[in-house]
Amino acid sequence: MSGGRDVWTGPLQSIPADPLAATWAAIDEVLDPEIPISLVELGLIYGVELDDGVVTVQLTFTATACPCMEFIHEDIEDRLALEPWVDRVEIVEVWDPPWTNERITAEGRAKLKEFGVGV
Amino acid sequence: MSPFTEDELKKKVHEGYIVESPEEMTEGYRKALVVQLTVQADTELMSAPAYWMAARYAPSTNTQVSAHAIIQDELAHANIGYRLLEDIGESKQHLVYGRQPHEFKHPYGFDQPLDNWAELVVANGFFDRAGICLLSDVFQNTSYGPLKRALVKVDMEETFHLRHGEVWMRRLTKAGGEAKDLVQRAVDWMFPMTIEWFGLPDALKRHSGQLGYKLKALTNDQLRQTWMASTVPLCEQLGLNAPAHWDEQRGEYVLEYPFPCQYDVADKRWAFDAGEISWDDVFKRWKGRGPMNEIYVESIQRSRGDVGRWLNGTVA
Repeated sequence: MSGGRDVWTGPLQSIPADPLAATWAAIDEVLDPEIPISLVELGLIYGVELDDGVVTVQLTFTATACPCMEFIHEDIEDRLALEPWVDRVEIVEVWDPPWTNERITAEGRAKLKEFGVGV
Repeated sequence: MSPFTEDELKKKVHEGYIVESPEEMTEGYRKALVVQLTVQADTELMSAPAYWMAARYAPSTNTQVSAHAIIQDELAHANIGYRLLEDIGESKQHLVYGRQPHEFKHPYGFDQPLDNWAELVVANGFFDRAGICLLSDVFQNTSYGPLKRALVKVDMEETFHLRHGEVWMRRLTKAGGEAKDLVQRAVDWMFPMTIEWFGLPDALKRHSGQLGYKLKALTNDQLRQTWMASTVPLCEQLGLNAPAHWDEQRGEYVLEYPFPCQYDVADKRWAFDAGEISWDDVFKRWKGRGPMNEIYVESIQRSRGDVGRWLNGTVA
């Protein structure tokens, strides 16, 4: 039982040349708590900003009644907190534009197909 | 009519043959599969009213959404099980709506009331984990192709239920005081309840059709060990007392109470002091069903009759 937290690799040993890209890469390790594809692959991350140690993540959910909202918040915060260039994480929930399955990336689609989930 | 004899099919499935259609099944295979799927679907179905009645104790709307999502998953998993039963000639309508409460095959644990938020989250942490142990074995080992494919998503969703249970057990125990006491009280009756759920010890078990036809691979005792291997360390980590520990010499988890054991339904307490009882006594208690059996089944079956009458004067 892990909800995907067992696949986290961080923290990086030193601050990378492109910390914003590394921040995206870290979020890409955070999996949906129900299906093991990442939040990025699922198309739930609308934007990431990095400003002097503060990461702002624009996050949406697949449904307004998403049962895993709290877990997703926790996972993003805990994953990013591992990295040395992150002091604080702010998550902004965004509902516009609404999520549709069009936002799932090609990698995400391929994985879902493997799990027998049609999109 | 199956092209195989019972012995041929048993041999074939152990060599890796996957059964895909009712035409390939022998009567023995079909019967064993019906029993397995009925227990599986009934367990998912009856967890729904148990969790539903406890979800009202949710401490926030967000948490209530999570609790209800778990219930929705359980109903969907039940639906998958009954649908698979339909494919091999059973009637879903009859199974869900036509049976008497005592005819359902779910474990005794889901005949019990869940009386507060702590009991609901320990049920997620213990009962759903038992479900995962059982279904993971089926998923990895079953010789029935349609079931194996259906279980991919079921397993993933159960993981979320388990996390919900674990996260909340952790929060409540961390809070200490009354919250932790309630979790401990829940553990006290639900730990032995889950241990008993896995059924007869291997030493007493008669020949099992489900193992013979490779509908699963692990024995009752092995599944009990699998469950304890994650549950006992979790309890230790949270500072909760679980009546079992790892025995270095025997290389397995051992129970610290007589098993099987007498259960006081009204008090939700196991009579550890009263000594070991016989499995016949356990079966008698199971057959008599638990205190919420009729209420839970009625809550599932009631509306169909009412709505059917409103719509067309007959049952829909």
